[in-house]
Amino acid sequence: MNPNLYACVRIAEFPTQALLRLNTQLASQPVAVLDGRPPLQTVCSHNRHARLKGVSLGMTRLEAESISELHLLPRSLETEAAARIVLHECAAHFSPRIEAASKDTAATCVLDITGTERLFGPPQTLAERLHSALDSVGLRASIAVSSNFHTARIKALTSRSIIVIPDGQEALALGKLPLTALDLAEDPAETLAIWGIRTLGELAALPVSELVARLGPQAVAWRNLASGTLSHTFQPIEAEFTLKEFCDFETPIENQDSLLFIGARMIDCLSARAATRALSLASLAVAMQLEGNQIYQRTIRPAIPTIDCKFLLKLLQLEIAAHPPQAAVLSLTLTAQAGQSSKMQLGLFMPQTPEPSRLDVTIARLKAIAGEDRVGSPVLEDSHRPGIFRMQAFSVPMQTHKAPTMPTESSHPRMALRRMRPPVPVRVQLNAQQPVSFRSTEQAFRVSAAYGPWKTSGCWWSTDGWNAEEWDILAENTTGNSVACLLVHNCALNQWQLEAYYD
Amino acid sequence: MSQANDYIELHASSAFSFLAGASQPEALAERVQQLEMPAIAIADRNGIYGAARFHTMATKCSVKAHIGAEIAVSSFGNTLTPPDWLPHQYPSEPPRLLLLCASQIGYQNLCQLVTRFKMRETTKAEGAATLDDLEEFSAGLICLTGGEEGPLAAALAHKGRSEACKIVDRLTNIYGRANLYIELQRHQQRDEECRNQSLLHLASSLRLPVIATNGVRYATQKDREILDVLTTIRHHTSLDRAGRLLNLNNSREIHPAHHMAALFADIPEAVVNTRTVSERLNFTLNNLGYEFPHYPVPPGQTMDSFLAQRVEEGVRKRYGSPAKRSLLAKARTQVQHELKLIAKLGFAGYFLIVWDLIRYCQQHGILVQGRGSAANSAVCYALEITAVDPIGMELLFERFLSENRGEWPDIDLDLPSGDHREQVIQHVYEHYGKLGAAMTANVISYRGRSAAREVGKALGFDEDQLTRLSSLVGHWEWRGPNDTLAHNFAQAGFDVRHPRIAHYLDLCMRMQNLPRHLGQHSGGMVICAGMLNRVVPLEHASMPGRSVIQWDKEDCADMGLIKVDLLGLGMMAVLKDSIELIPRHYKKEIDLAALPEDPLVYETLCKADTVGMFQVESRAQMASIPHNAPVRFYDLVVQVAIIRPGPIVGKMMQPYMRRRQHKEEVTYPHPSLEPVLKRTLGVPLFQEQLLRMAMTVASFSGSEAEELRRAVGMRRSMQRMKDLEGRLRDGMTRNGIGPEAQDNIVQGISSFAMYGFPESHAASFALIAYASAYLKVHYLAAFTCSLLNNQPMGFYAPAVLIKDAQRHGLRVRPIDIQCSDWLCTLAVEPDSSLSLRIGLNYVKGLRQSSAEAILAARNQHGPFASVDQLAARTPELNRKELVALARVGALNTLSEVEHRRDALWQVEQAGRPVGPLLRTAAPTPIVSNPLLRMTTVERLAADYAGTGITTGPHPMAYQRAELRQQGILSAQELEGCVSNRTIRIAGFVIARQRPGTAKGFVFLSLEDETGIANIILTPNIFEQNRIVVTRSRFLMIEGPLQNQDGVIHVKAQCITPLESHGADIPSHNFH
Repeated sequence: MNPNLYACVRIAEFPTQALLRLNTQLASQPVAVLDGRPPLQTVCSHNRHARLKGVSLGMTRLEAESISELHLLPRSLETEAAARIVLHECAAHFSPRIEAASKDTAATCVLDITGTERLFGPPQTLAERLHSALDSVGLRASIAVSSNFHTARIKALTSRSIIVIPDGQEALALGKLPLTALDLAEDPAETLAIWGIRTLGELAALPVSELVARLGPQAVAWRNLASGTLSHTFQPIEAEFTLKEFCDFETPIENQDSLLFIGARMIDCLSARAATRALSLASLAVAMQLEGNQIYQRTIRPAIPTIDCKFLLKLLQLEIAAHPPQAAVLSLTLTAQAGQSSKMQLGLFMPQTPEPSRLDVTIARLKAIAGEDRVGSPVLEDSHRPGIFRMQAFSVPMQTHKAPTMPTESSHPRMALRRMRPPVPVRVQLNAQQPVSFRSTEQAFRVSAAYGPWKTSGCWWSTDGWNAEEWDILAENTTGNSVACLLVHNCALNQWQLEAYYD
Repeated sequence: MSQANDYIELHASSAFSFLAGASQPEALAERVQQLEMPAIAIADRNGIYGAARFHTMATKCSVKAHIGAEIAVSSFGNTLTPPDWLPHQYPSEPPRLLLLCASQIGYQNLCQLVTRFKMRETTKAEGAATLDDLEEFSAGLICLTGGEEGPLAAALAHKGRSEACKIVDRLTNIYGRANLYIELQRHQQRDEECRNQSLLHLASSLRLPVIATNGVRYATQKDREILDVLTTIRHHTSLDRAGRLLNLNNSREIHPAHHMAALFADIPEAVVNTRTVSERLNFTLNNLGYEFPHYPVPPGQTMDSFLAQRVEEGVRKRYGSPAKRSLLAKARTQVQHELKLIAKLGFAGYFLIVWDLIRYCQQHGILVQGRGSAANSAVCYALEITAVDPIGMELLFERFLSENRGEWPDIDLDLPSGDHREQVIQHVYEHYGKLGAAMTANVISYRGRSAAREVGKALGFDEDQLTRLSSLVGHWEWRGPNDTLAHNFAQAGFDVRHPRIAHYLDLCMRMQNLPRHLGQHSGGMVICAGMLNRVVPLEHASMPGRSVIQWDKEDCADMGLIKVDLLGLGMMAVLKDSIELIPRHYKKEIDLAALPEDPLVYETLCKADTVGMFQVESRAQMASIPHNAPVRFYDLVVQVAIIRPGPIVGKMMQPYMRRRQHKEEVTYPHPSLEPVLKRTLGVPLFQEQLLRMAMTVASFSGSEAEELRRAVGMRRSMQRMKDLEGRLRDGMTRNGIGPEAQDNIVQGISSFAMYGFPESHAASFALIAYASAYLKVHYLAAFTCSLLNNQPMGFYAPAVLIKDAQRHGLRVRPIDIQCSDWLCTLAVEPDSSLSLRIGLNYVKGLRQSSAEAILAARNQHGPFASVDQLAARTPELNRKELVALARVGALNTLSEVEHRRDALWQVEQAGRPVGPLLRTAAPTPIVSNPLLRMTTVERLAADYAGTGITTGPHPMAYQRAELRQQGILSAQELEGCVSNRTIRIAGFVIARQRPGTAKGFVFLSLEDETGIANIILTPNIFEQNRIVVTRSRFLMIEGPLQNQDGVIHVKAQCITPLESHGADIPSHNFH
């Protein structure tokens, strides 16, 4: 039986390579990639030209900027993700079994190339072809081939181009590599360092039982790793399960019903595919190519993942009705995100509640109409900012057995306030800094009593600070009707608003 | 109708409410002065922390300072918090009442009340009073019910008016109807106004007066921002998350009287009552009632007569020897003069109490020496408080004590740092009672770095950003024109125009010097006749067994409280340890008070061979001491004093050195000053000379001259200084001194008076410096051993001290499990010489308890036979400790251990925990060790990593051959080089300095196996090589050599880092 054979591909300085792959003009110039939030950005990767200029990892932006002719690029995780797909696609031409082994800023994957000799020739040839394939897509890789998974992986860390380790020569190949290649935890690494063990060969030469007596059973794995004998269970990357349906129309569609007819079929297909994996649809991204090169994009998110096609179609209909395409539709793409089906444990003695899915449908409908952050129950925020609240998802209140609070003298009924949404701008006339009359676009009022100003200000450290004065006003309009209302003076903008009426 | 000026603010908290107030007391007083308010009451949380400085400033501003405090009372439940349905983060804490001192009795009661509940806590804590406490200490106090922090606000909100009535009833019973006011505050908030209406109703129904206050938390509106930041710090949150903890608006400033009158226009009596109460508050801190303890004297004696007797005994003892008999008459005259003044000022008790402390130290074998201006006094010398003979040295008594000074003498006692000092402190507590003595406080204030960090946290910066931001706050002593915070920020890539960064910068600046919390002073103890807790509240310090008062040393001085400084001095501990070691190992007794003047010691000093010596070991001292070339004790006094900012800034050092080397003629600003300045070659160096100059040229009296010195020393007393300068010039004119000489004299006085060193202090320090030099020269082993056992102290790391001792011929033995003690010890070598054995305390990571277990096991059953036996006999040792010992070679003397790695191989197995089944089994036989012996470089790295020192060769010695090939010289070889020759030198950086007086120049000390080389970096060279200079441990320097009279410097032109060999030795930076 042929031994296993693995090829490890390592793309060093991946953030830089990913960016330069698409920007070949910079490839021959010093380039460093910055990571982190401004203003605290540091160099996370660089190319050879930059290294020769003195750039090192961890350098701050300021330090890097002082190096002449150095191009500083921000790290792009999207570009890296795209480059990683290219890497895997490239690798997939040589083996369907690929295991991702990326660490730090390098992109690493190991290919199980057992039995590929008749397809691609000896390992050296395969490695060369793989190397050249990667080179053609703009990725410089180091490749190590070994019959031991870890040997290939560790050797790829240190080799610059292609290395093929003959079967049985693993220990020899690894022997001179530094101990840091094993990526040990701090404690054993320190122990081995003070023992003077610096290379994998030196570690492999230590007597195993003595080693275990001193460093514990895990030392066996380290030693095997160092000698190239540690076995590995291959965990290949599975092809990503994507839920996507696309339909290119022969003639542009302007009728929504026609569109929904096609959409219903697509949703059926998506639901069925999800159901085969015991999944539901958590979101549905709608993309349409419109006439005039326009793109239409919306996303539907049911409150709970579902495969109820009618419900999803209803949501699609509501969404399209609320945001109709502005031109005839040339193509329709539906992309769904899979999610776990919702489950709820009911109790024998629990009162009957509406079916969760029905409530969710209602909430989903409301959200579809009103907006994601506008449905739920309002919760007050811990802030002095007037009127501040946020919406939180509905939840069943916890049963608490609080003793009923005794009414106190101070717990008299409070006056209710009817807020104006939005507040009504008014013009206010002042006398001795007190309002004496005010006028909105519709009515004029004479102030009979004014209490205030009640001052409130805050968030002075940020751009959304506030500084307002509130007045409780008793006023009469021209017809003699009296009102009790709340006037607010925005001191920063010097604007008055009728904020609310007291009931 | 109330008058606009009727309003007096009676409820103002300062920043001394610690994170609950945003303005310094001084700022409050100044603001009140600006608003023309005649008085204001300060009321800090649970104490009178800010009262003293508030009183001092208010006096200057002609504002009457009422004293009070917000007192937490646990019996009234909790403070008002927002209702449950509103999200908030308020902690529960007891409500606070405002108590104002109407009389001295009231003040004493307030202090006792605070002390009572503070000391009731077992540790340093806020604490709270009970109703019983309030009742016991109620006399002389006026009670205001407080604002939102008060008990009524909480009671009304939670339990209604009936509960509020009950509380008011209790308070009426305690303070009486005449002394209780219902407090109303108006910060333009609805809830507060609703409460006010209830309070008004309550007051009217109970017929109690109401009073208006503003519950001030800051002086001006803008300071609300600081208060918000402080609030977030107090609650460990950020501004974005603090929510309702922050103020609703910015109305807690000091409002002008007319504003308050308008706010309370509907309740005018509330404003009028503020004036009424203010008029009733008769107490100010002017009548504190502090009295220094009387010293108990035998019947028929007064303290003065008793003191005179002790002094006479002392004079006979000090001056009775034939060598000093010539001074006896002069000494008697001087002590008579001093005793007369002491009697007149009523200070006899103070001297006797300090004398008593000295006697305690002498009886218990504790080394003690007075420092500072006390050494000017013959009485202090006679009482053995000081060791410098003021008669022999012609020191000026007036610098210590003068009639017009109006303050108590200040005697600082140096004690060996550590247990002995603590013993003396505890003796004072025992002697004067827990409520009769306490340490002075040390107010910990926000400085650059702490402010930068805390403000950053408040603004929500993450840990990385905080570290970077706070690291931008420079810590060099010298700051260039560009070293501003804003510039540093811009350099580090922060956009200073970004609102958050702009706020950050602004807040960092404004937070500077605001108090953060209360610590304890390094040694100042206040003692009191009777109860100190009636003078100032006492509370627990963080350190067990210590209590502190609520004022710092400046406050104590301002308030006339007398403190005795019991300071810990590392070198005193070294001297003490040395004089114990010397008889044991050298068979000689040493009397530090009678050390001979030894030419060998002066010769060593002249060579700047001063590593480890007190006061003369620094880089600057080493550079100047060969120029001064001391040959007698007084030269050393000058040497100690001359490397100070005063003489350097005042440009006194260079003229003195030139004259000392006969390169410049000795001249005097005026011939009449020759007797005054003769000893210092015509250059004024000491504060006493300043006094004598004024006395000589302008016929000032001693006390006038002292007044002049103090006026010059205080930056803010410009007017006073001008008056005195006028008088000085008048006096000089009368004495016929010309304008040019007058200018010289005035310039001389003003340039160094601010920083000048008292001669007496220099002499006290010079005594210790000489003693340290004497011991180092003659008893190197004992001295080095004591130095190493009292680290950290001094200028150099232990690694440097050991290398220096080795260069002087001392054999230093490594740590050895079989013979090292916890501390370093001396041992006799086969050739009868003494060697130094490094103690186990130098093994990093080895606990003292483990080391003691090793010693106990060794003492009980003899040396250890093997690693396994060591592990078995000392189960207290854990694996990491065994590894630490093996790594530094401490186990090398065990049998079966061939080398360090062998030991490391064995301890890894011996140190692993064994299950109960195998515990009693015989140890597994050691299979041959597969590890290689450490190389020299590895051993060196292990030494430095494991102990911070090495007893083997210096790291540079291993590279010497290679360095020599590159033409790099050793430190010793520099002595043979001619000036201006470009040389190369390499070594380990043991010190980096950028002194404030050196205009940006940086000084490095490079050590190699032959000695220490001094390097100078110009500001430009430093800027070009900043990272290499500040980060590299080993450097190669190239540049021209300068040899000025044996003082050798290399002026760096090219700086290159050298490979460090893993030797991680700490260096002494930037001081």
